[in-house]
Amino acid sequence: MADAACTAFAGKTPPRTWSRALLLTLPIALWSLFMSLRGLMQPDRSLQIASALTAAFLIALFFMMMKTSSTYRWRRWFFVALGVLFPIEFIHNVMVLRGSMGIPIEEMIAGRTPFCFLPIPLLILPAALTKTLVFPGSILPGGGMAGSGMAAMVGLWLAITLVVGKGWCSYACFFGGIEEGMAALPKKAQWKKLDPRLRLVPWAVLLAMVLLSLALFEPAYCMWLCPFKAVSEYVAARNTVGLVQNGIFVVLFAALVIVLPLLTKKRTQCTFLCPFGAFQSIFNKTSVFDIKIDRTVCSPCVLCQKSCPTMSLTDDSIKKGETLMSCMKCGACVDACPKGAAVWHIRGTQVAVKPERARLMFLYVAWAMAAMFGGTIITQGLATILQRVI
Amino acid sequence: MGGPFLLGEAFLLGLASGPACVASCGPVVVPSLLAEGAGWRLNARYLSSFLGTRFVGYLLFAAVAWELGALVSPPPAVRTLIYGGIHVLLGVVLLWYAHSIGRVCTHACAGSGLVSIGRVGKRGVSGAAVLGLLTGVSLCPPFVAAGLRAAQLSNIAAALLFFAVFFVATTLWFVPFVGLGCVRRNASVIFVARTAMILVALYYLLAGVAMLAGRRIYG
Repeated sequence: MADAACTAFAGKTPPRTWSRALLLTLPIALWSLFMSLRGLMQPDRSLQIASALTAAFLIALFFMMMKTSSTYRWRRWFFVALGVLFPIEFIHNVMVLRGSMGIPIEEMIAGRTPFCFLPIPLLILPAALTKTLVFPGSILPGGGMAGSGMAAMVGLWLAITLVVGKGWCSYACFFGGIEEGMAALPKKAQWKKLDPRLRLVPWAVLLAMVLLSLALFEPAYCMWLCPFKAVSEYVAARNTVGLVQNGIFVVLFAALVIVLPLLTKKRTQCTFLCPFGAFQSIFNKTSVFDIKIDRTVCSPCVLCQKSCPTMSLTDDSIKKGETLMSCMKCGACVDACPKGAAVWHIRGTQVAVKPERARLMFLYVAWAMAAMFGGTIITQGLATILQRVI
Repeated sequence: MGGPFLLGEAFLLGLASGPACVASCGPVVVPSLLAEGAGWRLNARYLSSFLGTRFVGYLLFAAVAWELGALVSPPPAVRTLIYGGIHVLLGVVLLWYAHSIGRVCTHACAGSGLVSIGRVGKRGVSGAAVLGLLTGVSLCPPFVAAGLRAAQLSNIAAALLFFAVFFVATTLWFVPFVGLGCVRRNASVIFVARTAMILVALYYLLAGVAMLAGRRIYG
C-alpha cells in the first residue's frame, strides 16, 4: 500500500492535510481580506457583497492550491474570472462616463485615455530620447478612468516584474483570461501542428511597434493592432480609416482570442501577437523563479510540451532541462508531468531539491499581486453585475 | 549672408534634428539592417549605400526646392499627396525587400553581399539604396525645415551646399547603427526582422493609401 502511494506521487508533492493547507493559506487570507476592506467599508451594498465574494474566491483558490499541490487549474479559475469581468467593468464605466465605447480624438488629446500596461515597452525610447510620453493619458493620479496615473502603474509593474518575470502574464494581465477560458473549452486540440516560428512573431511586433511609436509619436500598437480594443475602448470612427482600425481590432480579437484558442487549446494571442509578452520575457532573466525539467526523472513523454499554453517547451529545451524564455510560469507543465520531473525552481539552487518550497515562495508573491490587481477588477466587475441584479 | 555662418547654421540644424531623422527612418533602417548579414563591414556597407542614396535624394530635393521656391511648403492637399505617394512606395519596397530576403536566405544570411530587390544577383538593385532614396525625399519635419531655409537662398549652389552640410550633420546620428553588426544573425533574427519589415510596410501602405484618398490617418 505504501509502495503504491510512493509510486503514485513519485517526485510529486502529495496532498496536504486540511490543517496544514489552512495554515499555509493564512497569509494570503489576511492579504485578501485587507485588499477587500475598502470595498467592504463602502455604503454600496453591491460593492460590499462583491468584495466579500472576491476575497472568499481568492482565499478558496489559494487554499486548493495548497491542499492539492496543483497550481494551474485553480489559477485558471481566477484568470478566466479576471478576463471576463474586466471588460464588463470597463465597458460599464465607459458607458456611464461617455455613453459610448468609442474614444473620440478630443478625449485622447485631453489626456483622458485610461492607461494600461501593454504600451509600456513603446514608451521607453521616446521618453529616453525626447522626454516625452507618447501615450494620451495622465502621468499623475487622477488621469484616466482608473484614477491612477501612468507613473503609479509603471512603478508597480516594474517592481513586481523584476520579481516574477513573465509570471505577470499569468497572474496580473487582465486580458489573457478570455483566451485561456476559450482554450479550456474543447477536450482536444483540432490543430496540433503549429509552425514553431510563429512564436517569434511577438518579437517582430515588438520591434515594429517600438520603432513606429518612436517615428509617429503615438502608441502604435494601441492605435492599430490591439485586439482588446474590441472589448474595451475602440476608435470613435469618423471616417473609413477609423472603420479600418476597428475592423483590425475585431478581426484580431475574433481570430486570436476566440477561434484559434478553441482550435489549438493554446493562448494564441499571447503566443503569436502580444508585444508586451515578448518584452516581459526579457524579465524572466531577472526573476529568481523559473521552471526546470529534472532530467534524471524525465522520460520524455512530452506531456509537459503538450500542456504548455504558450509553446514554451520544445524537444531541445526539454533536453536542456529548461523552458524557453517565453514561459509564463502558469504551472501547467508541472501539473501535467506524471513523474514530477517538471519542477518549480529558484535560481542558484539545485534543481528538484525542495521544489515545493520554490513553488510556495513564487505563489505567495504571485497571488499577492493577483489579489491586488485582479482582486480589485473582479470586485468591480461583480459589483457592476450585482447592481443590475439587486 | 556669410558662407561659414550659413554652413554652421546647416550643420547645427542637422545636428539638432538628427534624433528626429533617426526616429523617422528607424522603422525602415532597423528591420532591414537586421535582416541583412552580420558583421561590421557588411553593416557599414549597408549604411553607406542607404546614406549615399539618401544624400542623392536630399540634393535632388534641394535642387527642386530651390528651383520652385514654394515646393517645400505646398498647399496641404499637394503635400499630403506627395507624402502619401512616398509612403506607398516605401511600403511596396519594404514588402519586396522582405520577399527578396526570403528568396536569398534559406537559413541564416551569411552571404557577403547586400540583399538585392528585383532580380537576385548582380542585376538587382540594392534594397538599402532604394530605401535610402525614398527616405531622402520624404517630407519628414527636419527635412521640411531644411528645405524652407534652402528655398530662401540666393542660388542653387548655396541650396545644395546647405543640404549637403545638413545631411552630414544628421548622418552622425546614424553611425551607432553600425553596432547592429554585432547582433548575431540566425534564422530567428532574420524571421523577426522580416516580419517586422512586413508590419512596417503594411502600416506605410495603409497610411499612404489613406493619405492619397484624402483621409486623415486617424479615424
